[in-house]
Amino acid sequence: MFNKRLTAKAVPLTVVLGSAILISSSAFARSNVYADFPITLKDYSGSSTTSVSYKGQMARHALESSLKKLISKGDMSAMQSYFSGDDANRAIIAPATKGDFVIKQSTIGELSNKNLSGKTYKGLVPGWVGSMTGPEVVAFMFEKAAESEGGYDPSHAMDYTQLVSKFLMGAVTYNQAVDNYLDEKLEADNKPNNKPYKDGAAYTGKEHVWDEAFGYFGAPAHTLTLTAQNVYDIAKQKDAAVADYNYDGKVDLYNEMAFGHAYYASSFDKGGKTTYLHDIVGAYMDGRDLITSVNGRALSDSERNELKGYAQTIKTNWEKVIAEAVFKYAGSTYKDMMKIEAILESGGDVSKEWRNYSKHWGELKGFALALQVAGKDMGATSVKLNRLIGYSPLLLGNTQVTGIDSNGEYIQSDSETWGGYMVHMLKVQNLMVDEFGVVARSNDQTAGLSDLVNSLGAKSSAEND
Amino acid sequence: MTDFFANFLNPEKRLFVGYLISAAFIAVIWLRVINKKPLTEIVSGFFSTQVWLSKSALADYKLMVINQFFIKILAPILIGQLALTVFIFENMHFIFSRPSSSIPVWMVMIIFTTVLFILDDFSRYFLHRLMHRVPILWRFHKAHHSATNLTPLTVLRTHPIEAILFSLRAVIVHSLCLGVCFFFFAESVSLIEIFGSSAFVVIFHSLGSNLRHSHVNLSYWSWLEKILVSPAQHQLHHSINPKHYDCNFGAVLAVWDNIGGSCIVSEKNQDIKFGLKDQSENAHKLKNLIIGS
Repeated sequence: MFNKRLTAKAVPLTVVLGSAILISSSAFARSNVYADFPITLKDYSGSSTTSVSYKGQMARHALESSLKKLISKGDMSAMQSYFSGDDANRAIIAPATKGDFVIKQSTIGELSNKNLSGKTYKGLVPGWVGSMTGPEVVAFMFEKAAESEGGYDPSHAMDYTQLVSKFLMGAVTYNQAVDNYLDEKLEADNKPNNKPYKDGAAYTGKEHVWDEAFGYFGAPAHTLTLTAQNVYDIAKQKDAAVADYNYDGKVDLYNEMAFGHAYYASSFDKGGKTTYLHDIVGAYMDGRDLITSVNGRALSDSERNELKGYAQTIKTNWEKVIAEAVFKYAGSTYKDMMKIEAILESGGDVSKEWRNYSKHWGELKGFALALQVAGKDMGATSVKLNRLIGYSPLLLGNTQVTGIDSNGEYIQSDSETWGGYMVHMLKVQNLMVDEFGVVARSNDQTAGLSDLVNSLGAKSSAEND
Repeated sequence: MTDFFANFLNPEKRLFVGYLISAAFIAVIWLRVINKKPLTEIVSGFFSTQVWLSKSALADYKLMVINQFFIKILAPILIGQLALTVFIFENMHFIFSRPSSSIPVWMVMIIFTTVLFILDDFSRYFLHRLMHRVPILWRFHKAHHSATNLTPLTVLRTHPIEAILFSLRAVIVHSLCLGVCFFFFAESVSLIEIFGSSAFVVIFHSLGSNLRHSHVNLSYWSWLEKILVSPAQHQLHHSINPKHYDCNFGAVLAVWDNIGGSCIVSEKNQDIKFGLKDQSENAHKLKNLIIGS
């Protein structure tokens, strides 16, 4: 049992009684922790006490986090092992125990022995060189990372740690959730709710479909009891107390840790302008409550439509989280370019700023690619985004990577001016506002301008001279 | 009607009640000390029904009211201001390097406030000159010049088309100024303000700008009238006498007229008739003001 927090601590009797009265008097009272949903299958005879299970998804989050560390070491066999291997004893390199933030699991097998390659988006990845599928993009980036020092190629300003990490968050977790579990698997004849997901399972088809989609988002099960700042602090391993929901002194990567896009949602929401994290987790909770409430029978069409409504809330908000990240890192890249230009003009050494520029561009590109692997055609938006960002950052001498040759080596060609590419970054930010309606807008490079126009701009007047 | 009353309550507007009071105070001093007029004559002149209820003044009021409605169609122009500012800001990247080091905010404030003032004043001069020199524009601008009595409210005796042109001018100037200054100084850009308006604007209006449209011929020293436009100089601009045609287009600075060869300094005790040559009594009718005679 996961949902034990209220009974685990000594709580004054009056508070317990008061809470009990409040809860029992509300017709809409419900659990706000994504855990302990009962078994509804009529003929289940196993030993499980709950129908909730999404350990495979959390194993993939742990694989992605660990892989990020491995890319910066450039060890090809280790990278491949975490991407496509099957060794249950692969160590969880990240997140690892840090001070009092003690991680419960130390190997992937303790969660679930999975890999990433089998779940990586198999379609064409628009926006990357060479017309590659998702797994091909990863393999290509692994090779380039192995050839470079610490996963960083300064001559092409490529940071493969960031590129792979952000791309995989899209190509595995985001794609699996929105293009598979929250898509065709919500249809009536696909994983129906009156049958086990697979023989012997403690959960129905739809229960497990929904749980797996929840797992891919990467939020702690008790997110709705936390603030966005709490979840952010959990992801940063700063606050073990809020992470450790069951008070066992350890943070369980299965249901107490924040990963992937849930972490990014919290990072935007903590600014107070958005509520992506709670909107998404709230929709997951509502959907799971609905599935549980039918008690193991097949969902009716109207119930499935309601479920699809929750799925749409999740998809829309999740997409916005990624668009917010694209917005943020376009702003970071712009600022790095300003610094580099100033240093170059004064004849200084740009190596530190070049490293930051490569890192931020890698994050920008990774998120931009992630946005395009949800299985939906983004049409002109996709074309605009990819043309604005290009296949590499703008390099000194105003060139950019424009393709690869038959040996997989980058081809560089003349491109924009330095200022012109900075404008591209501004246009990327505009595109995220226009097409996705991003609100948090971290690193907004024209926010000040819009405020100034509002306060100091011309006002209507019929005055003559 | 909110917009109408805003003319008198907003320190950004020339007709702000505070500026009207300061103008009246300056006029009393000028007429009493320099022109040696008796105080009773000065006060009765201020409230003369021959001025305030003249056909010319009544036409001013009608156009003021009409323009409150026309001004509503300016909203899209003002909305376009952000797009134009961003366009200018973006295009600056192709010409200059964006500086990353910052200069003190107080210095940015001085630069921005001064640049905005100079650009704003020059563009007013330039458009005003065009309104006189380009025949089709003069057809609209002559509605303003048909005033035979000048009161501070004559500032709003404007053809609606001219109001649109002047608003477009303001949008272009502000966008240019904001786009360019934001490129160089980012968020440090701000205005030196008094009562929420540009310090230059407040000073200009506090020092009697409303007397430009009045019969109080407040003049400056000749040398100063080549730098700043005095009320008496603007009254020359409204003169019916052909020798004063197309002079003194400037709003605050006379420098532009000086460079453009259109600066005429005021004369002592000048006695000017205002209006258009050979204009009929019908010139003050709303139909003629808007459609033309």
